[in-house]
Amino acid sequence: MDLLVRIEESGFCQWVREADSLFAFPGILLLHTIGMGIVVGINGTFDLRVLGFAPSVRLRSFERFFPFMWMGFWINAITGTILLAVNLTKLTHNPDFYVKLAFIALAVVNMRLLRKHALVPDETPPPTTAKVLAVTSIIFWLGAITSGRLLAYVGKSVGVF
Amino acid sequence: MNPAHVHLLLNHFPTIGFAIALVLFVMALLLGKAGLRRICLVIFFLTAAVTIATYVSGNDARELLKETPDVSDPLMQAHESAALGAFVFMQVTGFLSWIGLWIGERPSRFARWNVRFVLIFAVFSFVLMSRAAYMGGAIRHPETGAAETIPVDSATPSLPREWGVFVQDHSWVWPACETLHFVGLSLLFGVVLVLNLRLLGIGRGLLSVEALSQLLPLGMLGFALNLVTGMMFFVATPEQYTGAFFFLKMSLVVAGALNLLGFMLWKSVERVGDGDDGGLWTKFLAVSAILIWTAVIFCGHMLPWLGNSF
Repeated sequence: MDLLVRIEESGFCQWVREADSLFAFPGILLLHTIGMGIVVGINGTFDLRVLGFAPSVRLRSFERFFPFMWMGFWINAITGTILLAVNLTKLTHNPDFYVKLAFIALAVVNMRLLRKHALVPDETPPPTTAKVLAVTSIIFWLGAITSGRLLAYVGKSVGVF
Repeated sequence: MNPAHVHLLLNHFPTIGFAIALVLFVMALLLGKAGLRRICLVIFFLTAAVTIATYVSGNDARELLKETPDVSDPLMQAHESAALGAFVFMQVTGFLSWIGLWIGERPSRFARWNVRFVLIFAVFSFVLMSRAAYMGGAIRHPETGAAETIPVDSATPSLPREWGVFVQDHSWVWPACETLHFVGLSLLFGVVLVLNLRLLGIGRGLLSVEALSQLLPLGMLGFALNLVTGMMFFVATPEQYTGAFFFLKMSLVVAGALNLLGFMLWKSVERVGDGDDGGLWTKFLAVSAILIWTAVIFCGHMLPWLGNSF
């Protein structure tokens, strides 16, 4: 426990938490929101395409957009780590935080599986496995967003949100 | 220029501007002019977008008038109630008009029904908007004598205030709407990214620009979700959404609507062939779309720090 407090009270974490600068807590949280928009947005669009929306959009074209999705993912991994560090003791005692992490882990594994099953070489309609994975992908991302938003309500954390 | 000027300026779009478009729309239907009909759909869609800014600017105008002694607050509440009803019909008209534009010229049963629904909702919007405008005018124009003709009942709370009380009394409403606002954000932003990155050349070998328009309804669905949940916040606690910063966010949404029209109507976008990226104008459109919607997220997110929220 001592380690948690030491990280939380480090100079950087104090600055993020308390500095009266838009680049501190507000800016980091903003990047986390934009990252979410990129990851969930591109992933959700891909899921819906697999489920049959926008049939003229070739599934394989998403290969070009996945690097952007990963960029969003890493933005959120980094900003998420900072947001965790500045609020370490409270978040690690909040069950909802683990629910969120579990949803993200499931969603990421799901994304890799879906990519394997949906991106069939010869543009045939995606197999049923892919459609099931697209549905679970949507459920996992909705779960991640919901549990993430509820972190501001379940237990008490720092900052405005 | 203060918020009252802005509200007085913007309220001409959903009233006078919309009325002219409605007359032209009826003429286009009677004379069978497809081109004119399409122009009217564009105006309906844009008017609906501007109406978002009009509605929220009324909130600021009210804040200014609150301190004025001879201004009746119940009358302003009645105007707000009437405006909310008109706003809802105007937005439905805007969405239906957008669907009409998106279907394009292909004759189909769906298209015929869409035109009928646009007409019905446009007529209702006009009637409700005129009523809201009449009440709005009564607030500061005693010479018209309109104020006396409006039954104002200050004992029963108005529709927006009742909604505010409902949100206050049910603690799940706010977080649920916030979550849905994030879901809508992701859907809208995802479509904006795929669409505009393609116009900039990403994935040009695999994805035709024509196919991209099939993604637009998904983006509109995300926007609709955010308009509804955003209005939940706004109507429940209008005092949080005053000031220039929130108005900037709404202006950027209007800019986003204009940008979308650019994508749908601009010939240079249509001409982008398979395996090509866009010309300079198309790229300008694509970059501005990504910047506009990122700025909308920025403004929404920074409301507690740079605006008046919370």
